[in-house]
Amino acid sequence: MIHIVTPENVDRYRDAMEQAYRLRHQVFVEEKGWHDLAKPDGREIDQFDDGHAVHMLAMQEDRVVGYQRMLPTTRPYLLTEVLPELCEVEAPRSARVWEWTRYAVQRDVRDRGRILSPVGSALLAGIVEWGLESGIESIVIEMNPLWLLRLVQLHFRVTPLGLPCRIAGEDTLAVVAAFDVRTLRRLRETRGDAASVLTARPALPQRLAS
Amino acid sequence: MITKALDVTYGLFQAFDRAGSVDALDRTLLDAVSKLGVESTFAGIIPIPGTSRRDQAAHVLLDSTPPGWTERYFKAGHLFRDPTIRRLTADLTPFRWSDIEPAYRADAAARRVMDEAGDFRLRQGFTVPLITLDGRVAGFSFGAERFDPSPELRGMLQLVASYAFGRSIALGEGPPRPEVRLTPREREALQWAADGKTEWEIGELMSISEHGAEKHLRSIRTKLGTASRTHAVAEGFRRGLLK
Repeated sequence: MIHIVTPENVDRYRDAMEQAYRLRHQVFVEEKGWHDLAKPDGREIDQFDDGHAVHMLAMQEDRVVGYQRMLPTTRPYLLTEVLPELCEVEAPRSARVWEWTRYAVQRDVRDRGRILSPVGSALLAGIVEWGLESGIESIVIEMNPLWLLRLVQLHFRVTPLGLPCRIAGEDTLAVVAAFDVRTLRRLRETRGDAASVLTARPALPQRLAS
Repeated sequence: MITKALDVTYGLFQAFDRAGSVDALDRTLLDAVSKLGVESTFAGIIPIPGTSRRDQAAHVLLDSTPPGWTERYFKAGHLFRDPTIRRLTADLTPFRWSDIEPAYRADAAARRVMDEAGDFRLRQGFTVPLITLDGRVAGFSFGAERFDPSPELRGMLQLVASYAFGRSIALGEGPPRPEVRLTPREREALQWAADGKTEWEIGELMSISEHGAEKHLRSIRTKLGTASRTHAVAEGFRRGLLK
């Protein structure tokens, strides 16, 4: 199940967030070699982990097996602050557009061969369910261009923000991917599971609730 | 300032969205890339080694290579000697055919494939590796007598290949399957199964025994031609039997 962690409920997720920061360190620093993110305590935390970030945890009982972070584009975000070279056009800034960052899955539940793992597809379904409930229409993604076909097959409407560039030794592409109920239906079909992946109805992001 | 390559990419994506058939999409694509120096396109899922020659041809999704080439290619059994195919399955970054020439220079069979391709005006080209949603490796190639794309054009072709391939798969998924009729009770049982209920729970929800629920699910699997419950649920979605 996917748990959504915001400042309102973070107290209940102290241990899980610890695990999430360690998973991020393991995947981005140790595996991908993004050494400028390295932290001596093994918890990868950056300037965007503030009260505006929405964390999503894929949990199996008490264990965090997958993670991703959503950032509002109405404030400075990864694309505008860290990877502006990926964006040739004006960067999206809208309450209806959030940025998908730090997607990470524990190694033992990761994609078998080249198939999107059940944890990966649950995390994606989590974004779409949360988005549809919160009035969010699309996500900004910085990704390997190989993800593009997957997104198109999952009925995301993808618009590139630039051409692929080499970042830290890996081809990287920035896109905006819009979704709707068809995307969710497609994800559920792919997963062979019609049930919601979210644990409880998430609180609306504050900027949209007002 | 938006580059011309990105602008052309936007226009193409929109045109792909409007295309009503794989053929129409292929024509749109060819029309656009011919302005960039491409003479033919070829795209398909890479069959696993051991696939029969007839089945190999069924993996082709788009093909606008000169007449005679594809027949020749599969008949001669070129697929698993083709150095572009070998490179595709080993490394998932796009490449120009000239980039891999040093790797196959000493391999006479591989050289023959490339020489024969040259006889069909496929002397130079650029190939984009792809991975489908179900984890299969695919390749999308752009070829011509002379074709040496700039890094910018290569980036653009990578995007165009991914999008065109995704749309083609979607357009090809259309053929109607034989209709399946589920009884209202079977439909209900399948809906509960899709919601993740166990057979015992389905029995409780439908006020029948666990054995009765099992029987419904078995009958559903038979009608849908599926081996597992998960597959039956997926098939139920595809056929619009589930909400």
